[in-house]
Amino acid sequence: MRVLIFGCNRLTSSLVADLADGTAEITVLGGERDCLESVAVHPGVRVVLTSEPMMQDYLQEGGIDHADVFLAMSSDDHQNILVAQIAKHIFNVPKVVCHLGSPQLQVLYAALGLDVVGYSFGLLQDVRQAIEA
Amino acid sequence: MYVVIVGCSESGYHLSKALIAGGHEVVVVEKNNERFQLLTEELGSVALLGDGTDERTLKRAGVSRADVVVSLTGFDATNLVVSQMTKHIFKVPRTMALIKDPKNEPIFHEVGIDVVVNSTHLVLASLEEGVPGRPLVHLMNLRVPGMELVSISIPEDANIIGKRLSEIELPPNSFITLVVKRDGAELPTGRSVVEADDELVAVIPTGDEQILHDILTGV
Repeated sequence: MRVLIFGCNRLTSSLVADLADGTAEITVLGGERDCLESVAVHPGVRVVLTSEPMMQDYLQEGGIDHADVFLAMSSDDHQNILVAQIAKHIFNVPKVVCHLGSPQLQVLYAALGLDVVGYSFGLLQDVRQAIEA
Repeated sequence: MYVVIVGCSESGYHLSKALIAGGHEVVVVEKNNERFQLLTEELGSVALLGDGTDERTLKRAGVSRADVVVSLTGFDATNLVVSQMTKHIFKVPRTMALIKDPKNEPIFHEVGIDVVVNSTHLVLASLEEGVPGRPLVHLMNLRVPGMELVSISIPEDANIIGKRLSEIELPPNSFITLVVKRDGAELPTGRSVVEADDELVAVIPTGDEQILHDILTGV
């Protein structure tokens, strides 16, 4: 399974630790160097340091065109919404999960067909379930 | 027309001013207090202080009766969210968004934003126009994915000079849509004859620029 994760933070670190079983190919895109270094220690994990203006180039560098799963997990709701929809509608990634902190946005984008997770949804379990569904 | 503008940069300010002068009803939503004060001083009570990605702010701005919502914040992602919120929650008939990263244009079209203004393309086109010896200028992307509008000026030594348009073999799905001569523009027919310094405006599949360029400017 090829997993591309957008955003590096505490949530991502827990997710990567959970998903990295040696068989999954995981790529993490993020702007936080320390965080990327800490997730890179897990087996099968590749990291890409990003800065915002070249967002779509980074998605391609991260292998979005052949990812099985795309997780938009940054702490910026708007960026997550943008990249999750790019993954779903432009690159046709089979499974796209989008983390949103704002309850208003959670409701809207769930209605628009994104698999939305957030604190109100019981976070970690939901991501797991969404990937396996 | 009732227009709500979200995010009021320099261009937002001039747009609101022009719209008000044109007799339109305008509300500008601005998050930054300093800019909000400035707007209120300059334009009167059209400005509303608040976050344009918050449903309550949009409600206060009367978005549900807006004819158009224009998202002009400095962030492509935020403009996408404003446009989708106003379109789906408030059923605004026309949503327009500004983008900076040209690669973001397809997703905006894909999710149904009505008008996408690509500021980088606009600036690039103006720059290209000013660079001598650059005969092909990209004008805009069409709503249909994969098609674009370009303009080509015919150099003096091009071998198509003197030929009729019907004699020129264009790449598939390419069309000359306008011929601009020194004395004005004309609609092309098969019998239009190409002259030096003509400007041809064409619709072509994205990626065919080089092929068209070679056909029309080749010596």
